[in-house]
Amino acid sequence: MSEKQEKMRQCAEKLLRDGEAGYVIGWGETRFDDRTTPIFVEDPAGAGAFVWNEYAINSLAKYLLDDKYPDKKIGLFTRGCESRAINRLLKDNQIKRENVYLIGVPCDGKKSDRCTLCRERNPILYDVLLWTPEDDPPPAAGRFDRVKDIEAMSPDERYVYWGETYDSCIRCYACRNVCPACNCRECYADMSKTGFQGKQHSRSDNQIFGVTRAFHVGDRCIECGECERVCPMNLPIMGQTQKILKDINELTGEYECGMDATSENYLGRFDLDDKDEFM
Amino acid sequence: MELKKDKLTEALLLLRGASNVILPVSNDGAPVFKLWDGVAEPCLSANTSLPPKDLLFPRSEKMYDYNVKTGNISEISSNKKQTVFGIRPCDVRSIENLDHAFLESGYTDSYYKTRRDGLTTIALACTETARTCFCDSMGLSPNDAPGADIVLNDRGDAYTVKSNTEKGEEITRLWKSLLSKETGKASKASGSVVCDFKARADKDLPEKLVARFDDPMWDKLSKACLGCGCCSFICPTCYCFDIGRENHGASGTAFRCWDSCMFSDYSRMAGGHDPRPSKKERLRNRYLHKLAYFNLRYGVTLCVGCGRCVDKCPANLDVTRAMDIISEGVRADG
Repeated sequence: MSEKQEKMRQCAEKLLRDGEAGYVIGWGETRFDDRTTPIFVEDPAGAGAFVWNEYAINSLAKYLLDDKYPDKKIGLFTRGCESRAINRLLKDNQIKRENVYLIGVPCDGKKSDRCTLCRERNPILYDVLLWTPEDDPPPAAGRFDRVKDIEAMSPDERYVYWGETYDSCIRCYACRNVCPACNCRECYADMSKTGFQGKQHSRSDNQIFGVTRAFHVGDRCIECGECERVCPMNLPIMGQTQKILKDINELTGEYECGMDATSENYLGRFDLDDKDEFM
Repeated sequence: MELKKDKLTEALLLLRGASNVILPVSNDGAPVFKLWDGVAEPCLSANTSLPPKDLLFPRSEKMYDYNVKTGNISEISSNKKQTVFGIRPCDVRSIENLDHAFLESGYTDSYYKTRRDGLTTIALACTETARTCFCDSMGLSPNDAPGADIVLNDRGDAYTVKSNTEKGEEITRLWKSLLSKETGKASKASGSVVCDFKARADKDLPEKLVARFDDPMWDKLSKACLGCGCCSFICPTCYCFDIGRENHGASGTAFRCWDSCMFSDYSRMAGGHDPRPSKKERLRNRYLHKLAYFNLRYGVTLCVGCGRCVDKCPANLDVTRAMDIISEGVRADG
């Protein structure tokens, strides 16, 4: 573990010293041994603050949206999940590839429930790879298990299930803010004057947010699990996005997001010659 | 006086006869405040994940109905009696702080006041602290809740019962047949709990914070912030709200609901200007409100050290780290 951490620090230090990157985003320590926090290091002498352990959990790619027009490249420690998020942001025209320097760090799995869904431990794209790739976890046979559980409910049961789930939602929007697929410059939920999203904390307003979020990101979700990790109420909200992914998988065959930066978004497809025969 | 633990259910049932009883029950092992059904086992092992502020300041609250044709306005008020049992010293202090804002700021908030008058607090002093608890750094004690109507201290097989107010006296009268004299031996058992987690809340922290309003440290402290409202919504003393209306033709209902200064539309002004355009300004405002502005206005720190924000922040931001940096006069290092 510490050898890898040393490699990361040396790489960051060199990038910053050579002026290749303006700053590097990675994980740093907190007051608790079992938690890390994202850190942004500009000074080569500060590269010793980066840590790599089983608690380097937070996905870092979303922070690239805070600095879309950087003077120098942004260095980013990149695991499988970060690389899929970067593909997401590239595909959505949110960032430019030449603005980031991706330091590939194959991941050995972290102490987080979100890692149980992981299908890609190694970075899919990177500028440098710091150590040999890890074996990917066995294909997650249970990828859609919980969707199947929800599908097995009767419509009434399902309504109660989601109704009670969203009764607990406090609409802090952590799920949205951490999500690499939630990259609108202004979220519809923040457009308070439009009335799209009622601000009351009621079951119906909470559900409107849940459904809108699910459909907005459903066909673009990279299944990193960050939304559920950050939810202070521990709500099982991936059950919705994964339902959409499962349906797409069943309709079109293998469908997985963030594996490249070019594949079409399934729900974003349109055809000008569409005859709209049902209209 | 003391209340034997085997008489607790009886005591709670007596309370339930006189008012709604809200107490922590287990939700998948985590304690949450719920309206007690008379059956559920109280879950008193740790503090609740959400604070009890909902009792006084609901997430959403209807304020008045109106009709623009008739010009009728009718206020909606809730005057039900509520007794909260098992509330911790930090959350008791948080209610005192909310009182400052809603009752003593020069304007009396009638919605808050009605609920507050109907609320009785039965506090439970802590027997252990969570690793994110730092109330004793903020001038509180986990062993006592002077602002509660009643304070219970765990003495093994009994709770000592101390009444602080007239509302508390009412409860002790209600419980009269259940209370017994304290046994001297057991009373030495607890009351010496301290928090392991410490924060530097020096006397001059408010002034120091205000003086560093333009300090580059705010850039660094806020970098990892996601800009979500998690910290504000789980905070026992965040009390910002928004007011809206639900229209149905000529009539409708005005409501108010929780809002967060961490949100992008919170400080947006008419015309679109936002004096707090990024998470840097928003985080700074939140910290300054908790640790400086409230002190300067009411003489007490708004933060009560419950540690919920430290525990739940998705980016693991830690307000105590900011306090340390400022108290020690050092620069943020990333």
